[in-house]
Amino acid sequence: MTLLLRFTCLLLVLLPPTVQADEVDNRLALADTDRGRVLFGACRLCHEVGENAAHRVGPSLQRIFGRVVGSQADFPAYSPGFVAADFVWTPKLMYAWLEAPLAKFPESTMLAPGISDPQDRADLIAYLMRASAGER
Amino acid sequence: MTDSLGRRQLLAAALGGATAAVASAVAAGPAVDHAAVPAWDRVVDVLVVGGGAAGVCAAIEARAAGASVILLESMPHAGGSSAVSGGVIFAGGGTFMQRALGVSDTPDAMYDAVAGSGAPGLPLERLRLYCEQSATHLAWLRTLGVPYADTPQLGTSLLAGSLQPAVPRCHRPQAPEGLAGQRLMQALLARARRDSVLLLTGVSAQRLVVNAAGRVTGVQTLSGTRGGYTSVRRAVVLSCGGFIQQRDMVRQFAPQLYDCATPWGVAGELGLGVRLGMSAGGAALRMAEGFSSIDLSAQGNAPSGLLVNAAGQRFIAEDAYAGAIGHAVTYRQDGRAWLITDAASNLPEGQQDYPRLAEAVSIGELSEHLGLPRGALQQSVAYYNRYAARGEDPQFGKSRTYTRPFQGPPYRAWAVSGPRAFFPAYTLGGLATDLDGAVLDAFGEPVTGLCAAGRTAAGLPTAAAGTEGLSLADATFFGRRAGRRAATELPG
Repeated sequence: MTLLLRFTCLLLVLLPPTVQADEVDNRLALADTDRGRVLFGACRLCHEVGENAAHRVGPSLQRIFGRVVGSQADFPAYSPGFVAADFVWTPKLMYAWLEAPLAKFPESTMLAPGISDPQDRADLIAYLMRASAGER
Repeated sequence: MTDSLGRRQLLAAALGGATAAVASAVAAGPAVDHAAVPAWDRVVDVLVVGGGAAGVCAAIEARAAGASVILLESMPHAGGSSAVSGGVIFAGGGTFMQRALGVSDTPDAMYDAVAGSGAPGLPLERLRLYCEQSATHLAWLRTLGVPYADTPQLGTSLLAGSLQPAVPRCHRPQAPEGLAGQRLMQALLARARRDSVLLLTGVSAQRLVVNAAGRVTGVQTLSGTRGGYTSVRRAVVLSCGGFIQQRDMVRQFAPQLYDCATPWGVAGELGLGVRLGMSAGGAALRMAEGFSSIDLSAQGNAPSGLLVNAAGQRFIAEDAYAGAIGHAVTYRQDGRAWLITDAASNLPEGQQDYPRLAEAVSIGELSEHLGLPRGALQQSVAYYNRYAARGEDPQFGKSRTYTRPFQGPPYRAWAVSGPRAFFPAYTLGGLATDLDGAVLDAFGEPVTGLCAAGRTAAGLPTAAAGTEGLSLADATFFGRRAGRRAATELPG
């Protein structure tokens, strides 16, 4: 129950009303996916994306969008809060989360510094949307 | 809260926002005068700052020497960059794995292999000590529970490094692909917990406390918004990584690395340990040095292409260790280099590492696209081809596998460095320490009550002497020594 409460708090933090869908959509429309590819380089310390992506220290990000948070059964290292959650990753949610992952959900096992610049963040997500799409 | 409607309700309920940044009453800064400390929250013999491989090894050894130990971890989880690393430890001179696999090695041979790389500034005394004791050290890690295979296999448990590949010295714990560093840290942390090391996560060290005699006597801590002071009877061990995530420090101390586009390390690599050490009078060494990586061997036939500098000339074997190529580009070519490919060395379709800059049907045209000096690239190719037909590379000794005449369009140029390439880098400079991990001041005298290890210290790995597994070797081995030294420092 505590975890659920904590996760509720996470949601409150991740999705404040001040982050408007418009802002994310506008930034995604302007996004430079090649810049996003470069920014994703730092994520490759723990994550893979693309056709043959595997779980590493972090879970594979292939087809991440639309997937329920913390739901890849063969990845062993989610934080309990992510396992308990059952809503899906959207670009907007990820945009909010990646601003400062540790500040927004300190229990996460993802020890990344986050990306404070909003357009950089949108560039990264635009790249991730493309790279993770994958053909089934 | 689960369906999207529920989520919307939550969104609507989120008025008031919970995003306000936490204003901290305690910020990292210069040392605090011991006499000015209002009250101590805790007292301990040894305080270790940073829970990566160096810190956890220091904590284990300090406990073994009878000291009470607190291990501070600023992140929500201990493990540091070690836990996301490849988990490989460079060791030799007859390790249990080498013996099990019939690999013949001696400490002298190991020493010669590293020292023979001719890298400037190699800490030879440190290297000698490690080579003499690395086999025993690896056995210690195994007794701690690091999961080394009972029946090791070449290529999986024991790998040939880039340095003297005929004698494999790179030891990897058993783990699923990509998780060897995590397994190493899980084993070390489990042992520390069993030994009653008090691990405090989410707590960072902000300032050292120093008395009138210059001795380090404690640490000002920060946990969330709550500050506090821990009194340290024997010594503080600084082991909180390098500074690749602190971009201002990178620009200031290691400007060449600033141009590497991919900071390689967890969020905690903020250089706090180095700065805290300096605040108590510690000297910092080799601060400009770092590791940077250009891995052409992961790109199919790419090593049979030609890597050229701004003068249109080759400068290294294209099949060299990724760290050696990264070093050559970063430090010797001012970060400027291009990979030139022909039809047979073209990069794999869909690769995400190196953007294509130009394509041409002739080498002259390609050279013009890149703005290289007229005729230089053509001359480099002609000279290379003259010997490549015989499988030889008299300039840099590239292996026969990748040495063949460079010919056949399309010719392409790829950015392997600069702001758009996948160019991982981390720092290697840090505090000056003696062989026991005591931090040294600018005159070579120990700062009493202060030790350092791992990337916070300037250790075994130097920019030019890159080989796989040196960082973790240094962190674990000299981390242990720092822990022992800290536990035996006379109480202040």
